[in-house]
Order: sequence, then structure tokens, then C-alpha cells
Amino acid sequence: MATHPEIPEVSDEKLVRRAQRGNMPAFEELVARHRDKIYARAFSMMRNEEDATDLSQEAWVKGWQRLKQFHGDSSFVTWMTRIVINLCLDQLRKHKRQRAESIEHLEEDLGGVERQMPTVTVNPTEGLERTELRARIDKALGQLSHEHRTVLILHEFEDLEYKEIAKRMQCSIGTVMSRLFYARRKMANLMASWKREQQS
Amino acid sequence: MLKLQAWVDGELSKPEAARLAELVRSDKEAAALAAELTMTRGFLAGNEPEFKLPETREFYWNKIQRGIERAGADAPGRQDLPWLIALRRFLVPASGFALVAFLTVFSIGVFNRNPGAGPSTADGHYRPLVEEQTLSEHVDTISYRPRSENMFVVYIVNKDDAADDDDNDAEEMDDAVTQ
Repeated sequence: MATHPEIPEVSDEKLVRRAQRGNMPAFEELVARHRDKIYARAFSMMRNEEDATDLSQEAWVKGWQRLKQFHGDSSFVTWMTRIVINLCLDQLRKHKRQRAESIEHLEEDLGGVERQMPTVTVNPTEGLERTELRARIDKALGQLSHEHRTVLILHEFEDLEYKEIAKRMQCSIGTVMSRLFYARRKMANLMASWKREQQS
Repeated sequence: MLKLQAWVDGELSKPEAARLAELVRSDKEAAALAAELTMTRGFLAGNEPEFKLPETREFYWNKIQRGIERAGADAPGRQDLPWLIALRRFLVPASGFALVAFLTVFSIGVFNRNPGAGPSTADGHYRPLVEEQTLSEHVDTISYRPRSENMFVVYIVNKDDAADDDDNDAEEMDDAVTQ
């Protein structure tokens, strides 16, 4: 794979324009620049290296096929992130149809569990180094169901509004609100319990 | 509680937000819950876990390149010229109309040869014209003349539209991608 020596100096916008004209090395450079971010979004949703790698690669193939539809209304990486999110959501829907729902998940979906959780009054992340904080957030995210984790990711990390999340997840706004509420309360309680463990 | 969360997220209308703000001021439980939700938002913001792709640039790219080649999308820049699209838009219905005109003229000729008795072969035997299908690249035309009715029916199907409909169904989810 030969990379043009000038390419690393070129902006994303110029690379996109070149790629839209069929310039494959320009597209390859875009992949190299943003592959970690696209992979990270897929991994955060799928929690599985193999799925995340496959889906992120599929997203890049789709990105190439649809480059004509990209008009620069958002950044290129945001546009690509939306593509990989949609692919992950499709995949999660397929998984959901295949797996039997656990009683715990059913309770979470129906609501009520989060109401019994104690309110966390002291910030459980106080005094944590950023690396440690991120590691705990990752661990807590790993304990949520796909549905709760996805809503949380789309709202907190992708800054999507309830309505947009509902559209993407093909559910009602009420379901989004309820899942987000549960996910946040669970995150706060998990972080608080780990803080208590650390102190004792 | 969900409204309280919507208030924290700034998703409420002004009057509702004012009502919730009042509730938080007057209700300790609501205030504690709002504080917890705000805190959770706070520690998540800017602290998304980072993950590195566990593959080399070359290995990762090779699979993408193969995927692009398999999908037959060698160049996103390859697109029909605008004048060609306009010409095709004109030609498809025009060819359909031409086909109808031809079939109409043809059928009139057939009827006139032996009016009232329906089409017949050269040896004078009766041969009912029931159905005729014409295949073209863009248009399917099916015509028939019911023996009992004094009429001639032609169906025209635009193959391009039919193909587009199929594509649209398949791409429905993907079209949700917004910028």
C-alpha cells in the first residue's frame, strides 16, 4: 500500500473531495486517520473485538459507496460514525431476535428497578485519575444491557436528542427516556459501590 | 422522575421547565435525584473510554479494499452524466408510448382484416388474440384482447421504477444516516 507523501498534510475536506472523484489512496488515508474512532464506537456498542472490527470495516465500505451523499454538513468522521452506529444497531437487533431475554432485562425494560436504587449524593468519581475514571466507566458500561448502554452512548457521547435516539433505535421516546434513566442510575450506583469498596 | 431527567437534559418546553425547576426547589428528593443525574452526566462527559484497533493499518485496509471491490464500487465518482440521465428519463416513457401506438395500430390492422369475427389465420381459421408480452430493456408491455369484449388492453410496467422500489426497501435503514 503506497501512501502519497503529501497526503498526511492534506485536510479531511480535501481528501474527501479527492475520494469522491474515485481517489482510493485519499480514502485510505481517511481510514487511517479515523479508524480508531470508528472502531471504538463499534466496540463500545458491541463489546466484542471481532464484531467491532468487522462492523467498522463494513462501515468504511459503505462510506466509500456513499461518498457522493456526503455534502459536508457535518464533519466526515461524524458522518462515518453515524454509519457505523446504524450498522451496530442493525446487528444488535439481529442478536436480540436470536437471544432469549433474561428476567433481569425484562424488569429493566419494564422499569421499576431504578426506582429502588438509593440516590447517590457524593460524587463517586472525585479524586480519580482520568485513566482510572475511564476504566471504571468502561467497566460500568459493560454491566449494562445492550439497550441501556446504546441509549447512554448515543445521548452522552454522541449528543443525540431523545427524538433522534428513538428514531435510530426504532422505539418510542418514552422507552428512550426510561432506558436512559435506568442506565444513568445504574452507572451512578455502580460507581458509588466501587468507591465504597475502595475506601473499605 | 422521567420529566425530571428531561429537565436535566434540557428537553422540556419553557413552561414545563419552569414547573420542574420549582419542584426541585421545593422537594428534597427531587433535588437529590436531579443532582445525581446531573453528576452522572458530568462524569461521563469527555470521559468516554478509548479503544485502539487491534490490527495493523495494512491488514485493516486490505479487508476494506476487498469489500469495496466485492461490492463493485470501484469509484464513487463514476456517475452517469446529467444529460444522459435527462435523455433516459425522456426515452423510457417515450418508448412506452411508441410501443402502445405500435400495438394499437397493429391491432386495428388485425381487426380490420376480418371485422366482427376476431383475428384469423391466413387459411381463414379463427385464432383468438388473447395475450401478447413484449420485452424491452426498460419497459414491459403486456397486451390482450378479451374475446367477449370489444376492447384492447395494454399494461405498461417501467422496469427501472420497479427496480428502484426494490432498492429503496433494501436501503431503508441505511437512508437514516444523516449528516
